[in-house]
Amino acid sequence: MSATGQVLGSASAGEAAHGARDFAAQPLAKVGVWWFLASEVMVFGGLMGSYILSRIAAGGWLAERAHVNTRIAIFNTIVLVTSSLTVVKAHAAAEVDDRRGTRRFMLMTVLLGCTFLCVKAFEYSREIEHGFTPATSLFWSFYYTMTGLHGLHVLIGILINLGLFLLAGGEGWQRARRRVEYAGLYWHFVDVVWIFLFPLLYLA
Amino acid sequence: MTSTLMKPSLGYGIVWLWLMALLGAGVALLAVPSKTLGVVLIFAVATVKAVLVLRHYMHLRHQPVMIYLMLAIPVVLAIALTIVLLPDIAFR
Repeated sequence: MSATGQVLGSASAGEAAHGARDFAAQPLAKVGVWWFLASEVMVFGGLMGSYILSRIAAGGWLAERAHVNTRIAIFNTIVLVTSSLTVVKAHAAAEVDDRRGTRRFMLMTVLLGCTFLCVKAFEYSREIEHGFTPATSLFWSFYYTMTGLHGLHVLIGILINLGLFLLAGGEGWQRARRRVEYAGLYWHFVDVVWIFLFPLLYLA
Repeated sequence: MTSTLMKPSLGYGIVWLWLMALLGAGVALLAVPSKTLGVVLIFAVATVKAVLVLRHYMHLRHQPVMIYLMLAIPVVLAIALTIVLLPDIAFR
């Protein structure tokens, strides 16, 4: 196995494990990212809860749900889950000071994120073409709101990852190296949100 | 740089394979005859996928308890909010 993914830095495995579990020893920026993600849980949690309640109240929305394209959504799920793999690989590469590896995986993450958005845009265009707009019904209103908000998060993640990719290419490598983990946390969270949006909108 | 990246008990690639297998399982559950059981199982699979990402990709299992609490509180609140409103909104 390569050094990637192993305990890194000057600390031994035991020291690193102890330090990692000590809240006071956590970098403020990292705690800030976790706080931000916690607030995002309420945003998406509230939206999903409202959707579930409205759907039960409306009797299921099965007719509306039959018009969403599950195959496209499966493809996009594969793309997003794979991007989670590439971003954690970028983090692992950054930890061993592997600039080339970090940049390669960051670029792959950006490209996969762009693929997700392009496929989503194609999906939207097909749905609008068939007359399903946010004004069509409450289901479609929820659909566009939830996937649109998620897509916005993907776009922000792409910009962050692209920024780090560029920063890592120049003099800012050491600054970028520290931030890869934080960008990764955000990206994984976006993936987790999709993991629940996918069954909510396409399967259930 | 203090590292929080621990050697994963499962390799990242193995976790990805599990996520793909669970995606397939979730889609296959559409064939379950009982609608209610199918939905419950689909969300159970989604929860397992989310836990895999949180534990292995976000390295949550190496984080302090405070981080767990930070995430758990809004999750519990969001679920509780939905459950509390359920009788009033859904079954009116």
